[in-house]
Amino acid sequence: MKYFNNPDRLVSLLWQLWQGLGVTMSLFGFTLLFSLPLGLALALLRMSRHKALRLPVQLFILVMRGTPLILQVFTVYFVLPMIFGAAFERLTAVVIAFVMNYAAYFAEIYRGGVQAVPVGQREAAHVLGFARSQAFMRIILPQVIKRIVLPVSNEVITLVKDTALVTAVGMVELYRVARNAASTVGSLEPLFIAGAVYLLINAVVSFLFNRVNRYFSYYQG
Amino acid sequence: MKRCLTLILAMVMLSSLFLSATAQEDTSLKDILDNGKLILGLDASFPPMGFVDADTGEIVGFDIDLAREVCARLGVELVTQPIDWAAKEMELNAHHIDCIWNGMTITPDRLENMSISLPYLRNDQVLVTRTEDGYGNLSDLAGKKLGIQAGSSANDALDAAEDFKASLGEVVPFDENLTALMDLNQGGLDMVLVDVIVANYYMAVNDYPFTVLDESLAPEEYGIGFRRGDTALCNKVNELLLDMREDGTLAKISEEWFGKDITIIGEAE
Repeated sequence: MKYFNNPDRLVSLLWQLWQGLGVTMSLFGFTLLFSLPLGLALALLRMSRHKALRLPVQLFILVMRGTPLILQVFTVYFVLPMIFGAAFERLTAVVIAFVMNYAAYFAEIYRGGVQAVPVGQREAAHVLGFARSQAFMRIILPQVIKRIVLPVSNEVITLVKDTALVTAVGMVELYRVARNAASTVGSLEPLFIAGAVYLLINAVVSFLFNRVNRYFSYYQG
Repeated sequence: MKRCLTLILAMVMLSSLFLSATAQEDTSLKDILDNGKLILGLDASFPPMGFVDADTGEIVGFDIDLAREVCARLGVELVTQPIDWAAKEMELNAHHIDCIWNGMTITPDRLENMSISLPYLRNDQVLVTRTEDGYGNLSDLAGKKLGIQAGSSANDALDAAEDFKASLGEVVPFDENLTALMDLNQGGLDMVLVDVIVANYYMAVNDYPFTVLDESLAPEEYGIGFRRGDTALCNKVNELLLDMREDGTLAKISEEWFGKDITIIGEAE
């Protein structure tokens, strides 16, 4: 035991982890902030009647879901500067890569949610004189939201853990702090302490999603 | 039309990149002095060269002290930037960092891709084994399992020792030397090929029951890596390191970290 019998060192590690947590949570927050709406836009385009809108988005989703996220991070951070000359800040680069990747997953979740609403409702809305967009916003979307809560929660929990991938471009986030500490003291203890922090974050995320899910379950007792 | 334009623009930018690499004059030293800082890239998990101090959380190490002294003499600030070791050349070429200064072994491949300083420290790639196994020399290790840090110069040393590599049973790559040594300790490996400086550090920290074989694979030297073509900066750092050898600063820093002066800068090759 290199930490639990050495309170000063443990406090120092926790302080370092706390700073790493700041980077982890910024990546997490920015990714959700941009990918949730971008995913919706992609889903709408993916369902478009026009091939010119639908096919590029279909290809985008295929590439984003079909290649490793770590490779996408590398591409944004190392390849784009070669083409455009200027390098992104590390955080900017990884946020761009994560937003594109997660938006692709969210788009398909949204699409699934929309398709789960029976066609009859759209027909009924049409008969009642709703415009397509009106029917979507007022009738379809509210039902979609309650249906996607659980699949979205899966992605959000995965995102918390995926943030550790950015060590590949030298970001010092929670996992990297622990890895560096492990190298110094010659033991894996810091990694398990970091693991407990991830678990704690996801416990909070799960709790919040359960609350949201219950809020939307008004037809089920 | 628009797409065509974009394509042309992209090509122009790409070609200007290549041109600038060859045609422009070397402003590397001037850029550093103008910016007032030198960005040092390191894999901050390489004690005692560059690592995170367990008690303070600061990046410290022999290389860091050396770099701090060089920066003080240049009149610029030292900025340490943790990177992933496998991506170090990319970080350098993308101008995210100015140099790699982290116990980097000088290898023929790296000499092709970077401008490298004079060698400043001698290092050996050694084989660490469990003492209880009683291995004495390389021939005892035929058919056995070897652990190695991916992307490290240990790989080059292993590739160079063709006969030895061919005699091995399996080569297992790890992200870090620490995990390889832990695997050795629990019996998942028969040996780990690692820098002697790293081996000594972990054997001191964890008192593992390990033995370092006397027969080492390749004597190596550490150097500081700069972007290929950044000769002015590289030469200036060489000059400062030689000064530091003259006035005893180098010996002093080495004694603080290794207990004696093990630096080799300026020695005949």
